[in-house]
Amino acid sequence: MFTLLPQLLINSLITGSIYALSAAGLALTFGVLRILNFAHGHIMMVGAYVYLFFLTRIESGLFLSALGSICFMSLLGVIFLKIFISPFSKSTLLPFVTTVALGAIIESIVSLIFGVNVQSFSSSYATESYEVAGIFITPIQILIIVSALILLFALGYVFHRTSLGLKIRAVAENASAAQALGISRRGIVTGAFIFSTVLAAYAGILVGYETNLQPTMGGAFSIKAFAAMVLGGLGNIWGTIAGAYILGLVENLSIGLDFWGYSLPSGYKDAFAFVIILIVLLLRPQGLFGSKGRAA
Amino acid sequence: MSALIEIITSDYGIHLGILICIYLILAQSLNLTFGLGRLFNLAHIASCAIGAYATALLSTEFNYNFFICLLASMVISGIFAVALGVISLRLKTDYFAIGTLAFSSVVGAVLINWREVTRGVLGIPGIPRPEISGIDFYQNINFLGLSLVLMLLVQVFFYFIQKGRFGRSLRALAEYEEAAMSLGRNTARIRNISFFISSVAAGMAGSLLAYYLNYIDPSSFSLTEMVFVLTIVIVGRPGSFWGMFAATLFIILLPESLRFLDISSSYLGQARQFLNAGILFLVVYWKRNSLFPEQRQV
Repeated sequence: MFTLLPQLLINSLITGSIYALSAAGLALTFGVLRILNFAHGHIMMVGAYVYLFFLTRIESGLFLSALGSICFMSLLGVIFLKIFISPFSKSTLLPFVTTVALGAIIESIVSLIFGVNVQSFSSSYATESYEVAGIFITPIQILIIVSALILLFALGYVFHRTSLGLKIRAVAENASAAQALGISRRGIVTGAFIFSTVLAAYAGILVGYETNLQPTMGGAFSIKAFAAMVLGGLGNIWGTIAGAYILGLVENLSIGLDFWGYSLPSGYKDAFAFVIILIVLLLRPQGLFGSKGRAA
Repeated sequence: MSALIEIITSDYGIHLGILICIYLILAQSLNLTFGLGRLFNLAHIASCAIGAYATALLSTEFNYNFFICLLASMVISGIFAVALGVISLRLKTDYFAIGTLAFSSVVGAVLINWREVTRGVLGIPGIPRPEISGIDFYQNINFLGLSLVLMLLVQVFFYFIQKGRFGRSLRALAEYEEAAMSLGRNTARIRNISFFISSVAAGMAGSLLAYYLNYIDPSSFSLTEMVFVLTIVIVGRPGSFWGMFAATLFIILLPESLRFLDISSSYLGQARQFLNAGILFLVVYWKRNSLFPEQRQV
C-alpha cells in the first residue's frame, strides 16, 4: 500500500505547485476586486497557446517566446479587465456571469485558431527523467516545484514586507478607506489583475510542458482554482495556496493508493476538486483557515 | 409565405420545433430559480443530465415504457435537487454559484467515469422512441406533437406558479428577504421548493431530449450547454414569463443562420459558442444597471 508513497508525494507537490500558481492569482483578484473570475483557467489556457504560437509559428527561442507571452498576456489582461470586469464591479453576481461568457469566448477563439486537438510543447530535454532514491522526476517537474516556491515567496515578500503590499492589502480590506488615504484603487486593481493573468499564463505553460494542451481545459482549471480558494477561505491568499497543495495531495493519494485491494479509476482524479468544494461548503463555508473571512 | 410554411413543415423545421419545445421547458424552469429567485443556479444542466440518463438507462436496460421513464426521470432529478438544496441553499450568491457548479462537475465526472453503467464518453445509444396507444413516435412530426403537449403543460404550470402566491413570495424574498420574512414567509422553504420544482422540470426536459436524440453522451450536458440555457434566460429578461418564449426562439434560431453562411462545418460548433457567449455578454453589459440589483438591506 505504501511502496508508492514517496513518488505520490512528489507528484502531489508537482500538481499542487501548478494549482498554487494559478489559484494565488485568483485569490489576489478576489481580494482586491471581490469578484470571482471564472475565466481564470481559460486565461491559463490562452497563456499556454500564446507561448505555443511564439514558439512554433514565429519560432522565436525559449526566452523571447516567454518574454513575448508575458507582454501579450499583460495587454490581454488589461483588455479583459476593462471590458469584462470593471463595468460590472458594483455587483457580486454580474462579473461571474460575464467571466463565464469570457471563458466561452476565449475557448471558441482558441479552438478556431489552433484547432480542438491536443497539443504539447515537444521537448526532449525536459521529459527525460532522473531517478533519485526510487523517485522519478523530470527537469521540468523540478522547474515547476522550484519556480512555484520562488514565485510564491516573492509574492509573500511583496505582500507583507513592502509598501506596495501594504497598499494592496489596504484596498482588499477596505477600498473606500484606502482611496480616502490617496491610494489609487484603479492602479492597484489593474496591477493585481495583470499579475494574476501573467501568473496564470505561466502555470498554463507549465501544464503544457508537463502534460498537454487543449482549448477545453480552461473550465476544469478554473474550478480547481475555485476549489483551492474555497478550501483556504475566499480572499485568503495564504489559505488558498495551502488549499492548492492540499488539493494536489488529495488528488494524487486518492487514485494512487489502493485501499484494501481497491483503487479508484484515475478518471475520478478530477472529481475530487468538486467533491471538496461541496464538503467544505457544507461543513466549513469560511474555509479551513478562514476565521475572519466572509461568512457564506 | 409559402416558402416559410415549407421550411416549417420540413424535417429541418420539425427538428428545430422539437428543440425549441425542450429548451423552452429548460429555460422556463431555470427562470423560476434564477429569474424570480435570483439564485445563480449552475446545476440546472446537471438535473437535465440526470433525467436524460435515467430515461436512457431505464428504457434501454429495462424496457420501461414512456410514462414510467418520464416520471422516474423527474423524481430522480427531484431527489438530487433536494440533496443539493440541503448543501447549497444556505449559501449566498457567489458561494451558491460555486456550489452548484461543483455539483454539475461531479455529475459530469461520474457520467464520464462510471463506465459500467453510463458507458463513459461513448454515451448510451439506441434509446427507443415511445409508442403510446398505437401512435408511433418514431416519426418526428408525431414526436413534435408530444413535445408540444408536454411543453404547454409545463408552461401553464409555471404560469400559475409565477403569477400565484408562491411566485410572489419568491420574488419578494429575492428582492428583500427580511421583509418577506417579517410578513411570515418561510424563505428557506420557498427557496427549496422553487429549486425542487425547477429541477423536476429540467429532469423532464432531459428525458424528452434522450428520447428525441435516441443517443446521449456526457458532452450534451457540459458547461457550454449550461451557458446556452443561461443565455436564453438572461436574453429573455430574468423573471419574465413571456420573455422566455421570445428568447428561446431567438437563441435557437439565430445560430441556425450560420448554416447558410459559408462556414466550414468543423467550425460550426465554435462559431455557435462564440455567438452565444457574445450575446450573453452584450445583454449583460447593456442591462448591467437593472439586471440583478443587490438585495435591499434593512
